[in-house]
Amino acid sequence: MSRLSRPRRLLISALGLAGFIALWEVSLRAGLLPGNLVPLPSTIPGVFWAEIADGIWFEVVRSSLSHYAVGVAIGSLLGITVGVGAALVPTFNALHAWLARLLRPIPPLAWIPFAIIWFGVNPTAAAFIISIGVFWINYFTSYSAVRSVDPGYDEVAIAFGQQRFVDRLAKVSLPAAAPGILGGLRAGLGQGWMTVVAAELFGIPGIGQRMMEASGLLATDIVVVYMLTIAGLYALFDALFMVVQRRMLRWQP
Amino acid sequence: MATLSDTPLQDDASSAVLRAQGVSLGFSGTTILQGVDLEVQPREFVAVVGASGVGKSTLLRALAGLIAPRRGEVEIPAGNSPDTRAWSMVFQAPRLFPWRRVRANVELGLEGLSLSRAQRRERALEPLALVGLDDYAERWPHTLSGGQQQRVGIARALAVRPRVLFMDEPFSALDAITRRRLQNELVDLRRRSDAAIVFVTHDIEEAVLLADRVLVLGGGKDDTPAGMRDVIDVALPKEERREHPGFAECVQRIEGLIGTSAANDAP
Repeated sequence: MSRLSRPRRLLISALGLAGFIALWEVSLRAGLLPGNLVPLPSTIPGVFWAEIADGIWFEVVRSSLSHYAVGVAIGSLLGITVGVGAALVPTFNALHAWLARLLRPIPPLAWIPFAIIWFGVNPTAAAFIISIGVFWINYFTSYSAVRSVDPGYDEVAIAFGQQRFVDRLAKVSLPAAAPGILGGLRAGLGQGWMTVVAAELFGIPGIGQRMMEASGLLATDIVVVYMLTIAGLYALFDALFMVVQRRMLRWQP
Repeated sequence: MATLSDTPLQDDASSAVLRAQGVSLGFSGTTILQGVDLEVQPREFVAVVGASGVGKSTLLRALAGLIAPRRGEVEIPAGNSPDTRAWSMVFQAPRLFPWRRVRANVELGLEGLSLSRAQRRERALEPLALVGLDDYAERWPHTLSGGQQQRVGIARALAVRPRVLFMDEPFSALDAITRRRLQNELVDLRRRSDAAIVFVTHDIEEAVLLADRVLVLGGGKDDTPAGMRDVIDVALPKEERREHPGFAECVQRIEGLIGTSAANDAP
């Protein structure tokens, strides 16, 4: 199999996307797809503009972003802390190993009842749901990242007088595991978007709630506008994170 | 014990920088090495040789205190200088921290000593210049060759101005040309460092080339742990040892001491 040159690859990818949208448009116009269930692609930019002009777009994106930011921040911080702690402190690891195994398979959305009971139908509940999924991703990746650090580095640290736990944590475990930990953070940023919409479906203002309203009115075009909004925000956050990640890992070959 | 040294050492026990007595080593129930006594004087270079698996590297770690010996005692008298460490180590693989630049790697052992940031920097650049890599101070380790990385490893160990420098087969992972160059550099370096060196190698020629004394380990068989075969004083001039007629003789003598186990290794 021959490899494609970069411009050629980009061109073909763009053609693939354009072809998909064209096929979608044509199928609707030809009556091959039911127009009341699927929006016309060509109407989407106009609807998008209307949402922005009404101020609705900014309003819902702002609320969703605030749930997202709080949920991702708390989930990441706790996930990394507990994961790194479990990897470095055998007693702590053993202490919570079964509890983790028990809780891990529970999907974040299964926590919605408790979220409502504990926090009510408000942004805190949404942030809580989001943080759960993000927590597990960061917990497992940072745990295995720290576990797979070459023990030879620890020996070097000890041989050069850095025996204290905090010194080894800051000078060996965290920097050596950084590639894995950052990978988990990045996956968590994606996971956060997956739960943000679901967490808002039960009435907390945000993108998810707006999508539910729209679907109730069969306004499929508005639903698609917000689907694309999520895709765009995810791409933006991911790109920004990649810049930070590349900078932090510039020591890698 | 043969005593033909051309560099008379003070056999004053009180001045020793390392004292080991009756050291035995082992893993889970089995003793692999026993009865090692060693006293290292300031600036002395002691090589430890023996067949592979005899426990050379383990012995080195026990001498450094990185692992506890099964029996026996090791003492490295602490210095009273707050900006040096009693010992440091050069490992077989350079084991630089890839996330630190070369200079920061060399500074590792200086962190926690009473030195200002500027002093640390200065103390790191000094040994880097000694190994000829001061121009590489701000490079990342992966941009260096294997030989350069091991030079940084040596600079890192020298930066703490140790009284005992442990070297665990530091050149064995390098190609023959680089190895020989670093061996010559080490001979040179000794004149500019006050550290005593304990150097583990499986290469007898290397041991005879570099050391004042060679501690020969061997004799382990099935159930009997290995032990000290002898301590040979290398009675050769420090310069151009390889060309000295006594060089081959000394190497042969040590080969004979390692004896059967080395012969068994041959195909």
